[in-house]
Parts: sequence; structure tokens; C-alpha cells
Amino acid sequence: MQARYAALVSAVIFFATSSPAAEPTAAKSWLAPRTPDGQPDLQGVWTNSTLTPLERPAEFAGKPVLSEQEAADYVKQVLQQVNSDRRDGGTQADVGRSYNEFWRDRGNNLVADRRTSLIVDPPDGKVPPLTPEAQKRVEQARAWMRDHSTDGPEGRSLAERCISWTTAGPPMLPGPYNNDLQILQAPGYVVILNEMIHDTRLIPLDGRPHVAPGIRELMGDSRGHWEGDTLVVDTTNFNGEVSFRGSDANLHLTERFTRVSPDVIRYEFTIDDSTAFIKPWTARIPLNKTNGPVYEYACHEGNYAMVDILAGARAAEKKSAK
Amino acid sequence: MSWRKQIQILLLGAAAVLAPANAQNQAYKPARTADGKPDLNGIWQAMNTANWDLLGHSAQAGQIVALGATGAEPPGIGVVEGGEIPYLPAAAQKKKENYANRLKLDPEVKCYLPGVPRATYMPFPFQIVQSGKYILISYEYDGAVRTIYMDNPGPAPVDSWMGWSAGHWEGNTLVVDVTGFNDQTWFDRVGDFHSDMLHVVERFTPVSPNVLNYEATIEDPQVFSRSWKISMPLYKHLEKNAQLLEFKCVEFVEELMYGNLRKQPSK
Amino acid sequence: MHKLAILITGVGLLATAAPVWAHHAFAAEFDSTKPVKLKGTVTKMEWINPHAWIHIDVKNDDGTVTSWMVEGGSPNTLLRNGFTKASLPVGTEIVVDGYQAKDASNKLNGRDITFPDGRKLFVGSNGQQGPPDSKSEK
Repeated sequence: MQARYAALVSAVIFFATSSPAAEPTAAKSWLAPRTPDGQPDLQGVWTNSTLTPLERPAEFAGKPVLSEQEAADYVKQVLQQVNSDRRDGGTQADVGRSYNEFWRDRGNNLVADRRTSLIVDPPDGKVPPLTPEAQKRVEQARAWMRDHSTDGPEGRSLAERCISWTTAGPPMLPGPYNNDLQILQAPGYVVILNEMIHDTRLIPLDGRPHVAPGIRELMGDSRGHWEGDTLVVDTTNFNGEVSFRGSDANLHLTERFTRVSPDVIRYEFTIDDSTAFIKPWTARIPLNKTNGPVYEYACHEGNYAMVDILAGARAAEKKSAK
Repeated sequence: MSWRKQIQILLLGAAAVLAPANAQNQAYKPARTADGKPDLNGIWQAMNTANWDLLGHSAQAGQIVALGATGAEPPGIGVVEGGEIPYLPAAAQKKKENYANRLKLDPEVKCYLPGVPRATYMPFPFQIVQSGKYILISYEYDGAVRTIYMDNPGPAPVDSWMGWSAGHWEGNTLVVDVTGFNDQTWFDRVGDFHSDMLHVVERFTPVSPNVLNYEATIEDPQVFSRSWKISMPLYKHLEKNAQLLEFKCVEFVEELMYGNLRKQPSK
Repeated sequence: MHKLAILITGVGLLATAAPVWAHHAFAAEFDSTKPVKLKGTVTKMEWINPHAWIHIDVKNDDGTVTSWMVEGGSPNTLLRNGFTKASLPVGTEIVVDGYQAKDASNKLNGRDITFPDGRKLFVGSNGQQGPPDSKSEK
């Protein structure tokens, strides 16, 4: 009788932990511990490194999830493709790879549920089409960047200018390295500190309104509230300098943070920007617990590269003028 | 005299004897966080001109004529205890050179991280977020930030602009020991500087619901002949819905720093 | 001032399906037509972001010595892998393979940095080149 009971219990445990769902079924009954002021505890140092792309690759059209074997094969293929220790492909490709693979923080795997895209809505895993005006704006920006990319600092990306990385966003997406962030909570606040570029979001939970519409910020203005165990962060007042896949200053971003296990926060964001995209879209990237600390990333202070890029372009022009 | 009046006089007398003559610090019992520590959470700001010059100074014309009075230096009583910054002779000479070239050399002009203690008295608010073994201070100026580790974090792993902060409580005072600085920051706009041997010990003490008393002891054997101390109150922002906004100044200085490398140079 | 919406560049430009990001365009800083291979001794290392710089002295064929600066990645990666300032002592001999700066200064990107015997100088302690790390998956 005892043996049969034990077998039943172990069978339940086996099925619970080998579920292919996004989170283990045990997660539905797992509740985050509480901070001293009663908030679900999201605190810790987290990373969002992953090999899963934002959009579903063409080779996986119509295939939202991979099998274990397919995932393993794909991971092997991708790691080999992006490995910057490769020296093949000619010198242009070689320079572009920059330095040894050691310096990267790509993550070693896809997301646990083996989705083929971080985008979960729309179901095709792709960013929805841009509106006609946004399409024009984006094309003009691309053309300008192409023609003026070394004219001055404005021709470089916000990352190269040491102004902003997608790692902090918001929304927060993994970058090539230093993908860690720290979450701290105090009464009435959730605070997110991103290593890149030492950006801190101080999110009030007291229900205050957003700042006046005339105040626009690169990272927008964030307000948070709890819906059960999910932190919902509402961000508006973007200044449009960061065009995330074509977004503009009208972006209304909603992020959701739910701690589903001791080591994982389910992070989901919805982009609602009706002047840019014909419909809203949503992506989900797990935040995995990692070791701290978050180190200082003083970017602008050491930005030799900006000088080198511009000086290099001027030197090349001088040479071709001769 | 009624017995009630006699007791009143007695109690008043006792109160006068027992109340400390110094109304500051130890008499004040600050609110506590859930884990029993003095609660320093809030948005704070210094109200002085220490960022212009730590020492007492009179008003001065600015360096950019077109800015008129808006670029002039406001006066200040000074925040240095003893009124003197004890430079070693060679360092005193370097300060003179810094001052003469401050427009080119002051890291604040280039929107570089301000370091500690300068971040405290920049003319911008900052927010203290207290959570157990971490106390985070987020500064509006350039989004500077530092984490104070309350759990004996060991020596600084590498030099940084904002230093490596280890904190502990002494009564109601948060004591922060900061090391691991590089030699790149200044203390103010007139060229007070340090080497990478800088060691700062800060003390934050709540003295009333909306005021912290802030002290910073500065030690740097390569630059100063002894340690010296600055002190100032820090005031809480009381406006409804006070919050830090962005002051991402990197964009504001690109023309200054890279203008001469443009395809169509502006300089 | 006319604010131009700067796109996150690089989208769709890489063949790989892995996440693409607006990374520092090394091709804009270094000249792909000027490959350089140097052997030199470390004189100093700047542990700064966004890129660490290793300074080396290279003995030229004619006996003179030239100083070069080698660009690496973020030193925060070094810290997370257990490297300290003591890990690369002054005087260490290293071999650097890279491309010279476009402005012809004595700088190159550390495309591949090894010891003279061919071992990579920087190897991850959590095995970036190894099998998937189950701790970081999900």
C-alpha cells in the first residue's frame, strides 16, 4: 500500500516537472515571498540573455514551438553561426565580429518553452506592419543614417553615443553583453537598475498620474501597480528618440513582471503605438536569476570609439581627396 | 499654590534638566523601516553652492560673457570644517592649474559622472531607496547611481567613477565607507581634486522628519596632508508627487566634445 | 532642433536568426584592409567601459619599440569571469590579431588575443564555448 502511494506521488512529481509548458505546472501554486511591506518579492539580480530571436525566423514560419531535438540542433547552429571566434568570411565580416567570443553574453539556450520567437502576439511571431506614415518616417531615417553615418555623432546609434541601450529600454531586450539588471523594492516603489547604461527606473506604486504631457523622456514616465502577483508598469511620455522597431513618441508601453519560481521572473511587454504599428504586439522574455553585483558601466566617460570613428572617417575623406 | 501647579512646575523642571542642550541628532527618533533601521527613503537635495566651490566664496562673474548673470557664480558660506582644504604643496599647485583651466578640465562640463561626495551636492535631487542589504542612491544628474552594500562586500574589484560603497549603521547614522575611486572626478567647479587613493567616509543622520545631516570625511595621502571634512543638511522634497526626471546630458555635450570632428566642422 | 528618430540598426542585416542589437560598429572604427598581427608585452590595462584597452610595447624589426593600444570588450565581463587587475600583469607577452584604426593611429581591435603558445588569453570560467549552462536556460 505504501509502495503504491509512493509510486503515485513520484509519478505526479515526474509529470509536474517534465511538463513542456512555459513554466512548470508547480508554478501555478508557487507564490512569491513578500517584501516587508507586503509586495510580491521580485528582488535580486536577473539576466535576460537568450538565443531566442524577437521575431520568428522564416525557417520556422507556422511553427511556434520547437521539439527538444529541434531546439538542441538550432542552438548548436546559432552558436556556431554567431561565434565571434570564427575568422572566415573575409576581412569585412572579420572586423565586424570585433573580438573573441569570450566577451559576449549571448546566453547558451533558447527560452525554456522553446518558442521560436519572443513575440507571442500576433501569433505569427512577427512585429505587425507599420502604418504608412511610420513606414515613410522609418525609410527616411534609414536613408539619412546610410548617407550621414559618419558625418557627426548623430549618425551613430544611441548605443555608440553612450546614450541608451535596448538592455534598459524600456522595453528591456537582451544585448550583446552585460545583460544584467537589479530589482529593488521599498515601500511604494519598485526600482529597476540596468547595468547598461547605469539606468535606474524608479517606479512609484501610489497611483499618482503621469507627468504633464509636455514632459517627454527617453525612457518615458513609468507608473506601477500590482494585479495580484503581477507588477504592471505603464509607461508613456516617450520623447521618440529611441525608435524601437519603428515606435515613436506616442508609444504606450505596458510591462508585466510575475515571479513564477525562485529563479525566474516572467517578463512580458505590450507595445501599443497606433501611429506606428497597425496593431499592438506583445513579447515575453524570462528573467533568470544570476549572480551580482551589477557593476558600474561608465560608457560616455570612456568613449574613445566615437572619436576614433569620426576621426577615421575624416582621415579616409582626406585620403580620397588627394 | 495648588498641588497640581506644584507638580506642573516639578515636571517642567525635570524636563528642562533631562532635555539635551543640543537639539540635533541623538534626541530625534526617526521613523523605522520594516526591518528596524532608520528610514532614509525619500527624495533629498542639498541647498548650497558647494558644487561651485567647497570653500567659502563670494559671487563672481561667469566665464561665458553671453550668459550674463545666469552664468555668474553665486556666493557660499562654505561647507569645509575649519575652512581649509589641506593640500600638499605640489597638489596645491595642481589645484591652481585646474582652476585656471576649469572650463576645459572640469569633468562636469563634459557630463562625466560626478563621483562621491560631489554627487550629493550637485544642484539636482536624488532618491534613496532602502532595501535590506542594499541601499541604492539614484541621482537625477546624468542618471548617476550607486549601490551601498550593507553586507561587507569586500574590497573594490575595480576602480570606478562612483566608487565602491560599504555601509553599516552606528545608532541612527548610516556610515558609508567609499573606496575604489579612479582619479577622474573633481569635488567642485574650482578644481578641487583627488587621486585614485581617495577614501571617503560619509555619515547620514536623520535629525528631523525632513532633514538629514550629511558629513563626508575625505582622505587622500597623495593629495592632502591630513583628512578633512565637509558637512551640510540634506532637505527632503515635500512637493506632492515629487519625482526625479531625466537629465541625460551626454547629448548636450556632443557638439562640445565632437564638433571639431564633424564632416562640416562647427569649430 | 530637429530630432531624428534613430532606428535600432542592424535589424534584418545579419543572416543569423539570433537576437540582433545595435552594437558598436567596429567596421566603422577599424580598417578591414589593414590587418595587423603583433607580439608585444603588456605595459598597462585600462579597465574602462565601453571597451577595455590593453597597452602593449612591440619591438620592431629594427630594434625600436612602438606602443599600441588594443581594444577589447567590456571589463565587466572580465569581473564576472573572475578576472582581476592582477590577472594580466605588466610584462606579460601576448599576441594580438586585429585590424588597425581607420585614422591610422596605433590602435587595433583585439580580434583574437592569445598567449604566444596559442592559448586564448581570455577564457570564460562558465564555459561560454562549452555546452549549454542549464542554470541560465528557461
